[in-house]
Order: sequence, then C-alpha cells, then structure tokens
Amino acid sequence: MNGAPATATLAMVLDPAERGHHRLAWLSTVDHKRIAVLYLLAGLFFFVVGGTEALFMRLQLAVPNNHFLQPNTYNQLFTMHGTTMIFLVVMPLSFGLVNYFLPLQIGARDMAFPRLNALGFWLVPFGGILLHFSMLAGGAPAVGWFSYAPLSETPYSSTLGVDYWAVALFVLGIGSIGFAINVIATVISRRAPGMTMRRLPLFTWINFVNAFIIILALPVLNAGLAMLLIDRQLEGHFFLPFHGGSAVLWQHIFWAFGHPEVYIMVLPAFGIVSEVIPVFSRKPIFGYEFVAGSSVAIAILSMSVWGHHMFTVGMGRAADSFFAIASLLIAIPTGVKVLNWTATMLGGRIRFDVPMLFCIAFLIQFLCAGITGVSHAVVPLDWQTKNSYFLIAHFHFVAAGAILFALMAGIQYWFPKMTGRMLSERLGKWSFWLLVIGFNMTFIIQHFLGLYGMPRRVFTYPDLPHWAWMNMLSTAGAFFMAAASLILVWNLVVSFFRGKIAGDNPWNAWTLEWATTSPPPHENFDALPPIRGRRPLWDIANPDRPDPVVGKDTAEIESPDKNKAGILTFILSEAGFFAVLLLAYLYFYAHPQPGPTPRGLDVSRTLVFSVCLFASSLTFWRSEIAMSKRHRGSMLGWLALTIALGGVFLVGQGTEYWKLFQTGVDVSTNLFATTFFTLTGFHGLHVFFGLVALLIFLWLAWQGDFALGHGSAFAAAGYYWHFVDIVWVFVLFTVYILPLLR
Amino acid sequence: MTTYQFLTTAWRWNSILLIFCALAVAGYFLAFRRRGRPAYFSAALVVFLVALISPVNALADGYLFSAHMVQHIVLVLIVPALLLFSLPRSLSLPRLLIALTHPFIGWIAGVGAMWLWHAPALCNAATTSKTVGAIQTTSLLLMGSVFWWQVLAPRDADRLSPAAGIVYLFTACTACSILGIILTFAPVSICPVYQHPVDRLGMLDIIRSQWGLTSDRDQQIGGLLMWVPMCLIYLAAILAQLARWHSDPAPQVEESNA
Repeated sequence: MNGAPATATLAMVLDPAERGHHRLAWLSTVDHKRIAVLYLLAGLFFFVVGGTEALFMRLQLAVPNNHFLQPNTYNQLFTMHGTTMIFLVVMPLSFGLVNYFLPLQIGARDMAFPRLNALGFWLVPFGGILLHFSMLAGGAPAVGWFSYAPLSETPYSSTLGVDYWAVALFVLGIGSIGFAINVIATVISRRAPGMTMRRLPLFTWINFVNAFIIILALPVLNAGLAMLLIDRQLEGHFFLPFHGGSAVLWQHIFWAFGHPEVYIMVLPAFGIVSEVIPVFSRKPIFGYEFVAGSSVAIAILSMSVWGHHMFTVGMGRAADSFFAIASLLIAIPTGVKVLNWTATMLGGRIRFDVPMLFCIAFLIQFLCAGITGVSHAVVPLDWQTKNSYFLIAHFHFVAAGAILFALMAGIQYWFPKMTGRMLSERLGKWSFWLLVIGFNMTFIIQHFLGLYGMPRRVFTYPDLPHWAWMNMLSTAGAFFMAAASLILVWNLVVSFFRGKIAGDNPWNAWTLEWATTSPPPHENFDALPPIRGRRPLWDIANPDRPDPVVGKDTAEIESPDKNKAGILTFILSEAGFFAVLLLAYLYFYAHPQPGPTPRGLDVSRTLVFSVCLFASSLTFWRSEIAMSKRHRGSMLGWLALTIALGGVFLVGQGTEYWKLFQTGVDVSTNLFATTFFTLTGFHGLHVFFGLVALLIFLWLAWQGDFALGHGSAFAAAGYYWHFVDIVWVFVLFTVYILPLLR
Repeated sequence: MTTYQFLTTAWRWNSILLIFCALAVAGYFLAFRRRGRPAYFSAALVVFLVALISPVNALADGYLFSAHMVQHIVLVLIVPALLLFSLPRSLSLPRLLIALTHPFIGWIAGVGAMWLWHAPALCNAATTSKTVGAIQTTSLLLMGSVFWWQVLAPRDADRLSPAAGIVYLFTACTACSILGIILTFAPVSICPVYQHPVDRLGMLDIIRSQWGLTSDRDQQIGGLLMWVPMCLIYLAAILAQLARWHSDPAPQVEESNA
C-alpha cells in the first residue's frame, strides 16, 4: 500500500469536475459503473435488513412454545424476509454486477440507454420504500412472498399491507423490465469491433439470455398484481371465489412468473461461476458451447414447468404427470453445466483464493439443492414434503447456498476492478468459512426437521422429540452467517480505504474488463485490444500460442439500431402482459356469472371506432414515408391525422364506458365487468401513452427539422403504435366478436 | 373387447392411404433416384402410416381428443420434418412455390395448423366427415412442411440464420403453448364430438372405466400434449440451431433483433 490513499479514494468517488456539485453527482449519474455501485449498495443494505428479519425469525423458533414474537409479527417477518431477499437483494446485486461488467466485457462505453438505466435503479429504493412504508400504514403484509389468494384479498387481509406489497412489486417489476431491455439492446448494438456474439464471455451471454426470461416473466407478475390491486381497491372479483373468481388462477399466474424467477436469480450466478472457475483453474472453460446452449434450454424449459409448484393444489393426475416429466428434464441442462464447471477444474492449477472458494462451495451446495429440487418433481414425494421444512431447506440451498455464494464470489472477484483495491484475503477467508459453516448448520438440519414433520409458515411449535435441538442448531447457524456478513461488510469498508492497490489485472484474467484501469475511466477504455476469440487478454499475454480464432473475424460489427432492439423487446414484454389479461378474460368468459354479459355490448359502434384505430396505423405509415422523403408538411399532416384517429378511438371507448356506468355497470358489478374493464382499460391506457408519444413527436417536428438523426426513434414509436393496434385486433375478436359466433 | 384385443385388432388397412404411399414412393424414386435420402423418406412413411392406421387412429376417430392430438402433432411436426430431411441436399424450390418460402408465411402456416383445426366447428367436422378428415391430414402435412422449410430446407442458403431461426421457433412454440394452455384449462369441450363418442368398437367402457379417461381429463391431456411435449420438439430444434451456429465454419454475424 503506498501513495496518498485518502486523496486517491476521494478521486475515485468524485471526478475533479464534480466537486462543485458533489451532492448531486451520484444522484444524477447515468454512468453505468456508478449506477452499478448504487445497485450493489442498495442490495447490500437490504441484505442487512432481510438478514435481520431472518435472525428475528430464527430467535423465535430457537425453542419450542416461544412467545418472543406475536404470531402476526412472525407472519409479517417471513413475508418481508422473502420479498426483500428476492426483489431487493438478489435481483439488485446481480443487476449491479451485470450493469458494471457486461458493458466492460463487450468493450462498450456504456449501456445502450443510460437514462433508462438510472430509472431502473431508482425504482429499487422507491419500491423498497413503498414496501416498508406499509409498516407505518397499518402493518406489513402477512401473506407470504407468494401472497396466495384469497388470503391476500380484502376480506382476509384488510390492512393496506398487501396493497403496498403489490404496488412495490409492480414498481420493481417495471424497473427490472427496463433493465432487461437495456441489457438486450446493449449486447445487440454496443459490442466492440471483433466482439461477435459467438465470442461473448459467458457472464455476458448468460445474462443476455436471462434478460429474455425477465422480459417474458415479469409482465406476468405485473398483470397478476394489477388484477390483485383491482380486486382490493376497486372491488373486482378475479381471485375471490364468492362471485366466481378463482384463487387457483392467482397461483397459476404467480408461478408462471415465480418459476422463471428462480432462474432469473440463478442464471447470473451461473454466469459469475463460469467466469471465476476458469480464471482460478488457469484453464479455458470446458465446453463453452454447452454452457451457452444449456442456458437457452434452461430459459425455455423454465417457462413451461411452473405447474410443479402446484402439485399440492390438486390440478389432477394428468397435469401432475406432464409437469413432473418436464420438471425432471430441467436437471439435464443444469447437470451439463455442473459437469462443465467440474471438468474445467479437472487438471487445472487451481488457486484457492476467496472467489474460487466461494465457487467451490457453490458447486457442492448447488448440487445438493439440485438433487432435492429434482426430488420435488416426483409428485408423491412433493405432496409429503412441500409444506414442510424440507422445502425451506431446499430453496435456501438454491437461494443462499448457490445464488448468494456465487454473488459473493462475484463481489470478491470484481471488487478490485470496481475500487482499484484488493479485498483482504484474511478477512475474506474468515467470512467464507463462517458462512459455509453457518449456512450448512442452519439448513442441512432443516431437511431432517421437515422429514420429522415440522410444517413451514408456523410461528412456533410444540416440544416434539428432536424438534427442539434441531431448531436450536439451526438458529445457532444463522448467527454464524450473521457474523460472516458483518466481517464481509467490514472487509468491504476497510479494503475500500486501505486495501492493497490492485492494478489492472490482479487475477490474470482474460476478459476485456481487465484490459482497462481499476477503476475504469469514465469512458471505460482508452484503446481496446484486438478481439479474435473468447480470451483477448490471453492472446496478448501469449502471442506465441493464442486461442484459436472463433468464428469469422470481422473488423466492423454490424450494429442494429438500439432503438429498434429496445422497442421490440419492450413490445415483447407488453405482449406477455396482454396475453395474461386475455387468457384471464377467456377463462372467466367460459364461466358466465349472473349480471351483464358481453352480449350487451354495442358491437357496431365499437367496430366504427376500431376502424379509426386500424386506419391510424396506415396514416402513421404514410407519415413515415413522408418523413423519409423529407416532405415536412405532409409528414406533419399524416401524423396529426394519426393522432386524431387515435383520439377518436379513445373518445369512442370513453363513450362506451360512460354508457355502461349509466346503466350501473362498473368494475365491481360482476366478473365479466371486472375482466372487461381491466382488459379494455389497460389497452386504452396504452393507446393514451402512444398518443402522448406521438404528440411529443408532433411537437418536435413542428419545432424544426426533426428528420435529422431521429428517424429511428420515430420508427420505434411507430412499432409501438402498430403493436397497440394489433393488441386491439385480439381484444376486439375476443370480447366483441367471439360471443357472436356462439 | 379387452385392451389387448383392441391394440392388436384396431389396425385399419386403408386402401386409399396405401395407394397414396405407393405413389409417393414411386414419385420419390423417379424424381430423385440416387440423390435422395431414402432412410428419412421411409421413416416419414412409416411414422405417417402408423399414425393413420394404428389404434391411435381408431381412438382419434371419435373416442379420444388426446389421441387426435398425438396424430395432429405427428402430422404437423414429425412427418414433414422427416420429409424435408429426405430431400436431396441440393434441391431448391421451383419458382412457382417461392412465395411459400417467406418466414412470415411459414410461421403463419405452422401456428395456423394448430389454431385453425382446433376451432370447435372444424375440429368436429374433421372427426365426423371422412372428406374433411382427408383435407385436414393433407393440409397439416403441407402446412407443417411450409413451416419447417425455414429451418430444415435442404440448402443452407434457403434456411433462416440461426439467430432468426431461434426467434422463429421460440415464438411459434409460445403461440402453440398458449393454445395448449387454453385447451388444458377450458371448462367447455373444444371438440364436442369427443364428449359423447359413438361407441363403434365397443371400447367406450374400457376407456372410461379401465383407463380412467373421462372426457374432461381426455381434453386436458390433449392440451397438455400440445403445451409440454410439443414445446420439447421446438426446444430440440432451437438447440439444433444453436449447434449449427456454433459449428458453422463461416458464421454470419448475427442480426437478432428481439
């Protein structure tokens, strides 16, 4: 350690130019590295919060018949613990690492949409505050992180806890989708020359695949949350059985999101491990193609097997069998990955530094998690263990034993790059061993506790044989983990100020983030090394035996328009959202309830204003042609006509709503009304947003020569507008035409 | 009739089918002679015949929606894929058919083959009328071939790039899964013929009581077949695209947009 550490550290926190407005420098930043650090700090903060909640729960469970916590407090704690750990710890931590290192690994200067990136981050504290504000507004939610209906409905949870929970998750979901859009657009359009898709580092590739799961899964949750809020706030009937609603539908929607969510959390962990293990084994990854390809298989399978979370619901033998088989299949691509990592280590010169230690523990614990996981695909076993501590042990082996350990490996591995200083190996080893011992002490025993019959979600338990000492052991383990976390935080703080200077590439790693200074300058790279394979820095260090060239060597990368990539992925996520609303509509359409029905709707009037909406797609297209020909007047005219036609549609829909309200039909009337207003209302809202976007373009075009350089933004707005029209084709058919066919 | 008797006797040697297959064999060898890949072609014929003359067909003929779904999947996805594999590797389409090689047409054909024939009226008609049934079989083979052409065309130049192929297959898989989900959870019968079968073979009692297949569960299995195993066929094709991408000696720079 040398130099003037204090000033060097300060320089790292603030640029000289920023001293003048230092209070805003980090609040207003759009630099991906700073946003990443903010994500990581937020994640660590909530890790302490969620961890403390867990400690309180373990204290309550330490001895039988304990009255340390009230039952309701305990329920609130386990709800908040689960929600916090998933949405405010694991996701922000992995997003933080991706945000920092994905652009660096592909040689980009920043993410494709820096301001969207900042928005995505700031929605995390906003969501966190909303969630925790519930404590001041009558009590935190006490319904579990899955918030099963009808417990989550007003008659059973009358305080505002669930509302805050739903709004917070909605907000966090929007942030996650924005983040995923950014990742996809960045990888597609911001790669350095030579960095073809086949040469992507595995961390980047896996997170690119993961972004697609986020895009497709989070909107499903958001649709469900919207329905739950409509039920609670507007007296809708989606999930309440009294008026024909379906509580099981909530479970389908929740797990259609919830199962992919497991992979959303675990895939970044796979990415980290796939980077760290090769570097610390001094070998390239074994079977790059298999690690990359199996990620795609996992992504796709993850979206069609949610049923295995619902074996205990009673879906019937047929559905159970299909989901059991499909769930067993996931073991194949996951097993392929484990084999790849192990084979990478085989015969390597392994360096047992702290990041590698975390990866080795990850491998062993993830294997256990996988084996108990696959066992849950066997339906009868699942029936026995699903609601016991066996399941708690299983998913904590996934969430903590695998994901948390991999995130720790990532933080230890990349901390030198982010700060320019090494973490203390000595403190790192202390926290590693305490964490391994504490984790296994807490959770291995819970498998047996579950097999001995202890149910989950109970605030206390009778003094049955063996239960007491097993629980006490588990609680003791939790405190080992707390000590490990304290040492980790201490290590981070001390090393940030006084750690050994790291240099550019302390681990002798091979990917591009190590080709720049630590921490990287604002623009990331002064100059990039040539990229001909998957390990550019290896090629530089070993010019006499470089890696084989991967794929065709292109000097210039084709970079498709980032606006197009961004809007198409956004549309994909919106399509998922509407698909869920449409399916919910159809589901309830098949179970008619007394009261208004779709036959009472005025189809002919709707057809008239639908034609206006469809025509607006044509006029927009004319406007685009006029713009490409630089006919400003004609472009303005067609655009104004587009907006007018969209306006007619909204007025038409408004009239329809008004007439319905006058005959006493509103969201709460019956299930048809609930689904009708939800579906058409959300579509109308999207039309409205589209109109706002088009009005902004009209105003810009009115102001001056808009055509220069904004063609792709205009085209992107066009894609969105056409998408809104296409959604209406489906809504029109389902809501208005389908009843006529019967 | 017992299950064993049924499985051994319910083979229907349909003369039209056999003549059609004989003509196809003759046409195949006349057209391609040595250039063809007869192993794939015979596999296609065997699968095709098994689907249409075996007990599966007897069950699909008015008894079980799920058996119909097996037939449907085999005719749309498996037989056309084998047929495309059997073509000589140098073959490209005659100019007349070039319009069919647009990816959009291919996608619509593949997804349309699933959705169109499960509209209740069409599904009923195809099961009750022999003519409509024959039209259905033919159209499924044709639409399946048009769909697979984008991915399995004999010449590499006629296929989509691997990245575009993955998008093509994934979106098709999603569109079909949604139909599978609807069929699985639909409380009403999608194909009412199967709800009250005409018991021509005296099998109904065995199906309902011994096999435990009520008409609700039968439709659920049909939907699940479309939802889960069919998705696995698309998934296999997607993995094949990835393998092709990574093995390509001179790969294109990928241009995925979505």
